[in-house]
Amino acid sequence: MTDNTETIEDKLDQLQRSQGPLLEVKDLQVDFVTDEGKHVHAVRDSSFSVYPGQWVAIVGESGSGKSTSAMACLGLLPGTGQVVGGSIKLDGTEISHYTQKEFTAVRGSKMGLVPQDPMSNLNPVWRIGTQVKEALTANNMDVSHEKRSSLAKALADADIEIKSEGDETFLGSKELPALMEAAEQALVKAGVKGDRFEKSMERFRQEWVAGSETRWRVADDLIKAGVKDDDAWYIAKKYVLGSTVEDRIAGLLDEAGLPDAATRARQFPHEFSGGMRQRALIAIGLACRPELLIADEPTSALDVTVQKRILDHLQDLTDSLGTAVLFITHDLGLAAERAQHIVVMYKGQVVESGPSLEVLQQPQHPYTKRLVAAAPSLASQRIVSVEERGEDASAIMEHKVNEDSLEHADTVIEVDHLTREFKLPRTRDMFKAVDDVSFKVKRGTTLAIVGESGSGKSTVANMVLRLLKPTSGKVTYNGEDISQFKGKGLLDFRRHVQPVFQNPYGSLDPMYSIFRSIEEPLRIHKIGDAKSRRARVKELLDMVELPESVMQRYPNELSGGQRQRIAIARAMALNPDVIVCDEAVSALDVLVQDQVLHLLNDLQAKNGLSYLFITHDLAVVRQIADDVVVMQHGKLVEHGTTDEVFLHPKQQYTRDLLDAIPGGKLELGLNLD
Amino acid sequence: MGKYLLRRILQMIPVVLGTTLLVYALVFALPGDPVKAMFGDKPINEAVAAQIRAEYNLDKPFFVQYLIFLKNAFTLNFGQTFAGQPVISEIGRAFPVTIKLALMAFVFEAIFGCVFGVISGLKKGKWYDSVILIVSLLLISVPTFVTGFLGQYFLGVKWRILPVTAGADPGFLDLLMPAMVLGSVSMAYIIRLARSEVSSNVALDYVRTARAKGMTNGAVTFRHILRNSMIPVVTYLGQDLGALMGGAMITERIFNIHGIGNLTYQSILKGEANMVVSIVTLLTLVFVVCNLLVDMLYAALDPRIRYA
Amino acid sequence: MTDITKPLPGQERYVAPLDETPLRAVDNVDETAPATSMWADAWRTLRKNPLFIISGILILFIVFVALFPGVFTKNDPNYCNLDNYLDGSRPGHPFGFDAQGCDIYSRVVYGTRTSLSVGILTTVIVVAVGTLIGAIAGFFGGWVDAVLSRIVDIFMAIPMLLGAIVVLQMFRTVTSLWKVVLVLALFGWVSTARIARGAVLSSKNLEFNTASTALGSTPMRNLFRHILPNSLAPIIVIATTSLGSYIVSEATLSFLGIGLPSTTVSWGGDISNAQSILRTNPMVLFYPSVALAITVLAFIMMGDAVKDALDPKSRTA
Repeated sequence: MTDNTETIEDKLDQLQRSQGPLLEVKDLQVDFVTDEGKHVHAVRDSSFSVYPGQWVAIVGESGSGKSTSAMACLGLLPGTGQVVGGSIKLDGTEISHYTQKEFTAVRGSKMGLVPQDPMSNLNPVWRIGTQVKEALTANNMDVSHEKRSSLAKALADADIEIKSEGDETFLGSKELPALMEAAEQALVKAGVKGDRFEKSMERFRQEWVAGSETRWRVADDLIKAGVKDDDAWYIAKKYVLGSTVEDRIAGLLDEAGLPDAATRARQFPHEFSGGMRQRALIAIGLACRPELLIADEPTSALDVTVQKRILDHLQDLTDSLGTAVLFITHDLGLAAERAQHIVVMYKGQVVESGPSLEVLQQPQHPYTKRLVAAAPSLASQRIVSVEERGEDASAIMEHKVNEDSLEHADTVIEVDHLTREFKLPRTRDMFKAVDDVSFKVKRGTTLAIVGESGSGKSTVANMVLRLLKPTSGKVTYNGEDISQFKGKGLLDFRRHVQPVFQNPYGSLDPMYSIFRSIEEPLRIHKIGDAKSRRARVKELLDMVELPESVMQRYPNELSGGQRQRIAIARAMALNPDVIVCDEAVSALDVLVQDQVLHLLNDLQAKNGLSYLFITHDLAVVRQIADDVVVMQHGKLVEHGTTDEVFLHPKQQYTRDLLDAIPGGKLELGLNLD
Repeated sequence: MGKYLLRRILQMIPVVLGTTLLVYALVFALPGDPVKAMFGDKPINEAVAAQIRAEYNLDKPFFVQYLIFLKNAFTLNFGQTFAGQPVISEIGRAFPVTIKLALMAFVFEAIFGCVFGVISGLKKGKWYDSVILIVSLLLISVPTFVTGFLGQYFLGVKWRILPVTAGADPGFLDLLMPAMVLGSVSMAYIIRLARSEVSSNVALDYVRTARAKGMTNGAVTFRHILRNSMIPVVTYLGQDLGALMGGAMITERIFNIHGIGNLTYQSILKGEANMVVSIVTLLTLVFVVCNLLVDMLYAALDPRIRYA
Repeated sequence: MTDITKPLPGQERYVAPLDETPLRAVDNVDETAPATSMWADAWRTLRKNPLFIISGILILFIVFVALFPGVFTKNDPNYCNLDNYLDGSRPGHPFGFDAQGCDIYSRVVYGTRTSLSVGILTTVIVVAVGTLIGAIAGFFGGWVDAVLSRIVDIFMAIPMLLGAIVVLQMFRTVTSLWKVVLVLALFGWVSTARIARGAVLSSKNLEFNTASTALGSTPMRNLFRHILPNSLAPIIVIATTSLGSYIVSEATLSFLGIGLPSTTVSWGGDISNAQSILRTNPMVLFYPSVALAITVLAFIMMGDAVKDALDPKSRTA
């Protein structure tokens, strides 16, 4: 740490102590009323606080009350939810009893929201720019001058002195070309030449964004580039004259990391990818420079590398603006990496809270301990830490790479130069979803295919399951080309290669009882009579540790994890050799995910199963796989044993994926007992 | 947008051809002699029958008949009635009246349907929501002709607020009650549609995001809830405009309006097969064109469609 | 320099007492809740819906009247005596007499059977034909879907009433009830086909079909075991609602004088006959109208209730 940063942190700490908490929630109680008029306690006696400029994370699984607590602060509880007790103070003012009208006055300007699902949170019929503009007009924002929090000012004053109110005027797009020209001349006049000149100009081109850059920053940049103080201020005053609404909208979107913002602002949400929509939502949340930003799982729907980039960006942005962030997440590693203070919620209650690292290194409450133990990101990190210390990590590994089988066992599934093309809609172009992929799955081992959305990993899975025909290349099962299977041979193949799909809500027929669902494969393959099938179903339920009584139940009555266990039981019904798990644990809460992974590992050890495990989450891979294939844009990028890939990644893309595992740089406690 | 329009127009062609063919077949080619049907219960005059057969090309193969009909229809030549009047001029006299009636009904159902539906949807569970719901259920259940008679009896005969029947060349007041009766069932459907759209949109994520921006309740309601709820309502309204003209028959009969519905009904009774085919063809065209307009409007309202 | 590692006030380390926040097993099954299938679930929702109770009782009553009209009246609806021309109510004839001197009450009672038969028969045919065609279009897709969808468009473009009148005009001499049923079905199947196609399309793409295929199931087995059962809900809803509308259509056709023959007792026909004496004797028109409206209302309310109960959105995941 340099002296400079130390003083800033020091200053921040002093400011926080003198100003007191920005948001203070005490003994909050939120109830929902059911159709029958019963009160259900969603949040009970929960307390937490957020100081100016601070990131505080609330961690918990679905249904823990973490989002409900945050929404209560905004006065946006869904349905019948209402605050029935406790207090919520914003800047010392009690707001828990506010009417909707009073809430409207503080929303946007004092508290902003970045919601969870980028797909459903933008209105499809309005342009992106219009939706940003709504935030500006709703709060009567001055679009030509920057509004900065006292905190941001206080912290930035160390660098530059702001002389007058006009210095916070935004740069307008109209004056931008003239400004660039004047800056170029000023640099020439100041005698800046050659490489330094080019670099300075490049920097100006990048940083001087209309609607985002202010007069004092332009002056500052010029001075830093070597222009004399007076000249710099003269130019800044002459050309930085304030921005239009359109400039400001583009500026906001640019700050949120959206390239080519002015054009993008005129587009509709459906023309945006998930990551771009999330950036637009961040721009909306921060449009009126709120002092507190509530970020409700802002990146959980996105790919890991995109997630990291967006969070990095959000962190830079809120740091420079002095915005406090209440960060809601299910990922303990992510929370610890981003926030200074962590609040762990469980079944509507705060079970533990404290400084991030402390909570992570010495979890006290059994639930937190469980969470720390189960989080895949932390688990894989733990292994790395142990191995870096030169100790044997096998003691803490849930799944140890089976080197022996990888080398000597025979090949069950072989994927040989597999390619699959799809026709793009309304064009003649073909799109290669899978491009020349080859790998082998050895008997009794797990091969994981890792990749982000659009990498073609699920397409490979569907071809291995013979649900999709390859354009070229082939898949062999026990040395036989699966495309040649017909009739009885195909039925036999289906019997030995079973799937478990991602969506635990979709892969079980809602009209079938659990018994019928698990019995279905036995019926299709005409195995046993009614009595023996019943016995088999009982046995299978026992195998996945579910009580016999669930047989008469229907999928809608079970949780996601329970359904996924049913799906595994169904896959196991025919004693298969190979199970293809397509994102089988991605939709599950951390603890449940851990439970299902354990189950899969146990089944493999007991029955000698081979798994083809498709996932986007590299952290999970460490807990289950022996062999890893990394895919990107349909191509195989890297292939190696799990240890090799984690410890010595060869490709930059693999390193990016590894870097994106949250909590990667945390020092972890290893003693969880 | 242009491409989309072109595609929709191309899709229209087989529907128009198919519909006219179907109607033509129903009238001229079904088992049973259409000429016989024209005479109804009267004895058949063989000479007249032969003349009719020749005039309608009934002596030629079916498809040839149809093609001749199509060719003539293209030039708006629909032949003549028994009385020797050109069919097109008869239709020309009746059509404006029906258009007037249908437009009035359309405006009535659009305004009242949307207003009541939106109020109901925004205030779900309040007493006036229940009242609006019950009234709309009743309007759907009671057949138009009963609604018409009730209107006639109460508004016309008992309280004497509006004219009981319209008669020839009706004015605005004459058509007011018929338009309300004609539009009542659709209004009820619009109320239900708007209500369910609004009440489900209220809980959507982007509405919450809009509130989180600090927008006032009014702005959120107009810009996000209503704007999006109106898309399916507009679709329904557009399709209904075509249907209103076809459905005007009952209303026109009750209120004695000399419009297209009444003309159709009289033609059917008199056995004017030519007239019936012509009218149904025209109404189908109106319906299909209305649908095209709806699609255009839909594309304008929902940006996702333009590129699909 | 202050010690910045010291937590800010109110953010000190906190651990909830364990007895207040007991830890439960991960993902355990609540074995106390009763098991419910989708139908049992729907039934539970229905039972509590007043709309369903009212419409259910009404429909049971209407069906009973249709089956056993003799229980409600001893009078012959076709016995008309002009001596009774427009007479008021008297014992045994609570609604009085119409312009032909027929007993209105018994005509209303006997008319129930006509309306209900037309409604039910039409619905049965429409559901069978519509579901079949819709399911074929949705399941096979491609050119089969394209052709069938265009045919549906064509039928959609013809106003039902107009089409029905044109066809009925051809068969004036046929007096059977089936004439009206078949004509209504001819123009009514399209809406059911559209709904069935949509339902099959959406359940075809659900993951459990892929799962079944991977288990070794054939496409046909999927269609009958998974896709069709999962497409039933919207078809049931439209069937219930349109049953009411077919009754209205039949009455409308009879009202126009080209539906059922005048020898068949029907509400629509009686309403039509009462039209001319509306100004003097509105009650003659009132009774059959009310019977008709109540019947239709019952089925539409039932449709609403069933829709609420079978709505997938209302089923908790």
